[in-house]
Amino acid sequence: MSTVELVPKGEEVDEEVTWEDQQNINAFRNLNDKLESLETKYDDLKREKEYLDDLSTELELADEDELIKYKIGDAFVSLPLDKCQSRIESEQAKLSEHVEAMSSSIADVHDKMAKLKAVLYRKFGKSINLEK
Amino acid sequence: MPPELEANPRGIPKAPFVDNVELFLTDGQVEPTLRKFQEMISKYKYMEVHLLQRQKALETKIPEIKKTLDTVDLLISQKDAEEQMETSFELTETLWASAKVPSTKTVYLWLGANVMLEYPVEEADSLLQEKYEKAKTSLQQVEEDLEFLRDQVTTMEVNTARVYNWDVKQRRTRREGPSS
Repeated sequence: MSTVELVPKGEEVDEEVTWEDQQNINAFRNLNDKLESLETKYDDLKREKEYLDDLSTELELADEDELIKYKIGDAFVSLPLDKCQSRIESEQAKLSEHVEAMSSSIADVHDKMAKLKAVLYRKFGKSINLEK
Repeated sequence: MPPELEANPRGIPKAPFVDNVELFLTDGQVEPTLRKFQEMISKYKYMEVHLLQRQKALETKIPEIKKTLDTVDLLISQKDAEEQMETSFELTETLWASAKVPSTKTVYLWLGANVMLEYPVEEADSLLQEKYEKAKTSLQQVEEDLEFLRDQVTTMEVNTARVYNWDVKQRRTRREGPSS
């Protein structure tokens, strides 16, 4: 998870690490982990949304009388076009909500990380590495 | 003041925090302290492996419950339909078959351990909803525990680094002799 690196001789700092500092370090690491998992989920959600958008475009050109096999659970159900379209619309609405919530969480995490970075670099300078 | 050794809601002990290296080491030497720290780190990492497995299991289970729930909801919406529903289902991998599903008031739920039980559709729906919520809560708890564990590991790693650095400095000062 973490690598141990040697600090070059002239740059050793014997700073005392207070409990508050430790908590800041832990908080930063937490936010970093959270950011990674949020970004993966966000990419997945965006891809799903794209699929649904493509799908609804396709369906606009579909024949009205044709029954469409729509996947529910593990099986496909033959549904009329309008039912399919309304299901897709509600899925899209749910996804959009999800995507928005997620992108605001990501922005929030970025914000907090920037603030913590400032605090930690101010105290520890070169003794700490906060980059990816 | 560093907090006392506590545990989180699921009983994972909190790591001690070394406020001042010199004070911390007065009753012990560097070597055994470092070894003890390493031991604690490995214990935490061991717990982490277990939690990661649980997390994976839950992350597979949750979409499955959702799929079952969606299907039951579909059956509920078809309950009063006159026509049969046309479906295609997977008989085995790469082999699909079609079936006509009449409206039904009951479903069979697979409960695990080779047990299958018949439920009226609405009861099945509420049971599955409950299972879904419970699984989501468990997953949230596991993720909280993982976060807590990683905090403790980071604290211990910082402790180790500081004790080690302090020791290096001490040795260097001792080697260079008293300064004039």
